[in-house]
Amino acid sequence: MGVPGRLQALSLEAGGLSSPATRTDGAVPAMYDDPLVRELGLILATAAVFALLARRLHIPTIVAYIAAGLLLGPVTGVLQATHGGHGAGGVALLSEVGIALLLFLVGLELSFAAIREVGWVAVVSGTVQVLVSAGGGFALSLLLGFAPLHAAFLGVALAFSSTVVVVKLLDRRGDLGETYGRIALGILLVQDLMVVVALTVVSGLGREGVADAAQLVRQLGMALAGMLVLVGVSVGASTRLLPRPFAWIGRSPEALLVWSLTWCFLLILGAKAMDLSLELGAFLAGVSLAQLPFNQELRRRVDPLVNFFLAVFFVALGVSMDPAAAWGNWPAVLALLAFVMIGKPAVLLAVIPRLGYGERVAGLAGLTLAQTSEFSFVLAGLGLTAGLIDAEVLSLIGVLGLASMGLSSAVILRSRRVYARLRALGLLRIFRAPHEGRLDRVASEARPGAVGVLRGHVVVVGMNALGRRIVEGLRSRGEGTLAIDLDPDKLARVPGPTLLGNAEDLQLLEAAGLRHAKLVVSALQIEDANNLLAYRARTLGVPAAIHAFDRSVVEDLHRLGVTHLIDSKTAGARRLGEALRDEGVYG
Amino acid sequence: MTGIALLLLAATAGFGAARALRLPALPFLVLAGFALSFTGRVEADFLQDALVLGITFLVFVAGLELNPARLHRQKRAALLVGTVQFGVLGAAGFAAALGLGMDPHTAVYVALALTASSTLVAVRVLQQRRELFEPYGRLVLGVLLLQDALVVLLIPLLTGLPRGIGAAAAGAGAALVLMGVSWTLLRALLPRILAWLSLDEELLILVVLSLLFAFLLLADRLGLPLVVGAFVAGVALSSFPVNGVVRGQMTPITDFFSAVFFTSLGATLGMPSGTALLQALALAALVVLVTPPLVTLLAERAGHSARPAILSGLLLSQTSEFSLVVGLQGVVLNQILPETFSVIVLVTLLTMTLTPLLAGDRVTLALLRLHPTRWGRPEPEPPEGHVLLVGCGGTGMPLLETLLIGPHPLMVLDDDPAVVARVREAGVPALRGDASDPAVLRSAGADRARVVLSTLGRPRDNEALLAAAGSAPVLVRAFDDEDARWISALGGRPVLASEAAAGRFLEWFDRGAGRREDDDLEEVEQEEVL
Repeated sequence: MGVPGRLQALSLEAGGLSSPATRTDGAVPAMYDDPLVRELGLILATAAVFALLARRLHIPTIVAYIAAGLLLGPVTGVLQATHGGHGAGGVALLSEVGIALLLFLVGLELSFAAIREVGWVAVVSGTVQVLVSAGGGFALSLLLGFAPLHAAFLGVALAFSSTVVVVKLLDRRGDLGETYGRIALGILLVQDLMVVVALTVVSGLGREGVADAAQLVRQLGMALAGMLVLVGVSVGASTRLLPRPFAWIGRSPEALLVWSLTWCFLLILGAKAMDLSLELGAFLAGVSLAQLPFNQELRRRVDPLVNFFLAVFFVALGVSMDPAAAWGNWPAVLALLAFVMIGKPAVLLAVIPRLGYGERVAGLAGLTLAQTSEFSFVLAGLGLTAGLIDAEVLSLIGVLGLASMGLSSAVILRSRRVYARLRALGLLRIFRAPHEGRLDRVASEARPGAVGVLRGHVVVVGMNALGRRIVEGLRSRGEGTLAIDLDPDKLARVPGPTLLGNAEDLQLLEAAGLRHAKLVVSALQIEDANNLLAYRARTLGVPAAIHAFDRSVVEDLHRLGVTHLIDSKTAGARRLGEALRDEGVYG
Repeated sequence: MTGIALLLLAATAGFGAARALRLPALPFLVLAGFALSFTGRVEADFLQDALVLGITFLVFVAGLELNPARLHRQKRAALLVGTVQFGVLGAAGFAAALGLGMDPHTAVYVALALTASSTLVAVRVLQQRRELFEPYGRLVLGVLLLQDALVVLLIPLLTGLPRGIGAAAAGAGAALVLMGVSWTLLRALLPRILAWLSLDEELLILVVLSLLFAFLLLADRLGLPLVVGAFVAGVALSSFPVNGVVRGQMTPITDFFSAVFFTSLGATLGMPSGTALLQALALAALVVLVTPPLVTLLAERAGHSARPAILSGLLLSQTSEFSLVVGLQGVVLNQILPETFSVIVLVTLLTMTLTPLLAGDRVTLALLRLHPTRWGRPEPEPPEGHVLLVGCGGTGMPLLETLLIGPHPLMVLDDDPAVVARVREAGVPALRGDASDPAVLRSAGADRARVVLSTLGRPRDNEALLAAAGSAPVLVRAFDDEDARWISALGGRPVLASEAAAGRFLEWFDRGAGRREDDDLEEVEQEEVL
């Protein structure tokens, strides 16, 4: 088929670019005739309204998204379900991409160094917690009268905690650097690894149904073998294949993003070719890129994409839920909810103190992890498409997730008070743990990286000739500096701590600890970036010294209340005059 | 999934090729998408979704940049150059398209596609030359912003034409009203609302995207094309600091969808016929031959000197990503043939690839020699034993005062008529001319000077000066160490502005560290006086 044919497909549906012409001819109603734009518009607008409301109520955005989906789907019926985002059509594709990108992002966090750093505490307590919770959930579900397969599914779905919720809330409280925060994060990472296994198993089970035990074992074996191959490929690639080309393209930010996403989708295709889940492929792609020097910058770039795609995913998930089925079984909801919110922290309170930490750290970590995971939804969606569970279990898992995330985020925001109350009531005595453990402090001091450590430093943006000299001068005066640039080569030539990334990016400035800095300096010769930096410094109350590289930019910088203007042209002209004197022309 | 993976793979190849050849990525993305179309693996449905989302984000971001404050004093110049270039090129394009045997409506489409120049390409070259904030850089930027807005306003006119002049005018009117409302009302209102909401990144993206889609639906209700809604949504968010905040968060999303857009655009193209190729060559030649002299003329009229005027012309001599938007609009509405769309895409690919090769110093200097008004009238007797100051803009003036105290005669060489007039007023002999022209340098007595000082904005512009200045020491202000080394290698004496500025910053820091902010504010006043 030639061009006209291919384009005909475009023009027949025409909606793509709106078509007043066809609208007058045909009987197309005034409403937008491209389903994608209409659906996306609805989804995003509803999600935005719900998220704004949820923020006032301190509810995590995921809960808001799913609630928005519930409104659009089951309640009003504006949108139709496409079962866990695995159907056809644009929205389904976008939500599939969303979940892939989320796992890609989780993988990007997981540098080999981070794995070592998290250490055995997270591995031991995470593993024990997941196994005990899954077993407990399974037993409880059996007791509540679920079929064994459904009970097993519920058990697994309840065992994991939500990375997105916990990271977001701890970050907001500034507790990611605390000992309990680090342990919670470590356990979440361990869980993420196990989630990937669980997803693989479920998608492996789902393909042909469960015929007999031998076949199940064989399928599991195949899945594990495929997984090993993919792990081998990604680990090998991270050290041999990827570093050179990515260092070569790294100077062009948009190209770097596209190359990384291509790598992600290539591994997804690889996973699919071996009948593994796309989530696994995306995760491993993230892990292999996490070993490269610019992984943090890449993470910040993927983050907005994830926010966009995930919102679509969770709303679509809400659309496909059937809460009515779950409300019919409210005793089960209450029992399982109690299990998630009490049982899971209890397991951690029992395990973590045995590893050298105190009751306080264990209690706070436990309270932090008392919810189910966004992956429970993914898992349930997969299970439904695979025919392993029915819509009732799906909606049960959905309602449990919504309730536990909503409740636990309220708890996390007050975790210290809740812990003190529980302790005062004497409820924690059964764990017989010491209040302070011998390792409590070690971990929090060993925390490397930018978060929470940098204070009273000078942030210098733009490592050109000016920025580099300023950093060198400040360091020779014993000042703490943090150098920022987009170019890894330029950062390599600067002494002291550095951060790779774009200074227009708010997350980068957060990572740079801008709000705790004593001064921010920009040597950049980019008007927009300088103005934005000046504006943000002023909002945070941090003094700013900005490079006024040309007369035309001075006025705006003054208006933005910049503390000090670095006028390089005048300084240069002045130096010319001095050089003239040295030349013997004057005096 | 396979579709996305394939498009991304094509984009990866496109970016790689562009990086290796140091050329703009856009043409290579389209070409990679075109190559991909031969695999036949990308479905039309998926391509349509990719095109819709891609075009939406692309145009939205263009609207986001529409901030006249960035043009400073070049607003009127940009208005003059932008509208006249738009009109002349449109008329020439229309005539050429008719001459190439197209029907009038198609010819109007082609003409509109030819009028706009590419922001992506021109801004990239200006950034590489570090001249985005020079007066002529701001002029080019202004012309680009104006043309983007004009094209978006004219698209509804064009798509409405088959339904009669009335419908077309109504469409354009509605677009104008929408743009006006968002410019006057929302642009002032939204920053306050967003500041009041004080959103984190996640919510900001959601709110911005809902706004975008709301405008899309609104545009649709008004019977306007999608792109108008997307552009107006961008305009509504284009005031500082909202635009910067939004841009920071939207960049990855736009990067992703633009890559997908350009590759999927390539994938919808067919193999162009021989006629299409010839037509494309003819139209590309029109753009490349008409724009530079036209813009040069206009820019000089607006007060720019010859070299920046010529560079502006070269920088604007290509068609735009908006030309692709225009073409796509026409082909989707069945108002132009896919063949014509291919022609538009080909013209864009050709001219965009040419620009970075043309808009350089070599071509500019060659054209400068053809320039009819070479103002460097040879002075009857070049001075001797004088201090020659080359480039005396804002920061050269204080230096001039220092020099006036000295015993040696002075001479100033600058290409800006205003500067030359000011210097002459101060009683200093001044020559207006281009410092890269050996004849001009001779008449300024560069080879007979006691000492030469240069404050030219681009250190590399000193090449001719360093060659001309015989035995006289040449002190050159430079910013980068690399430039300084280059100047040394050519026998000049670099004076590092970056070093001097860092020194002055550290002096300020030593005095100011640990003091209250009020004290620091006085510093600003002091610095300003300099």
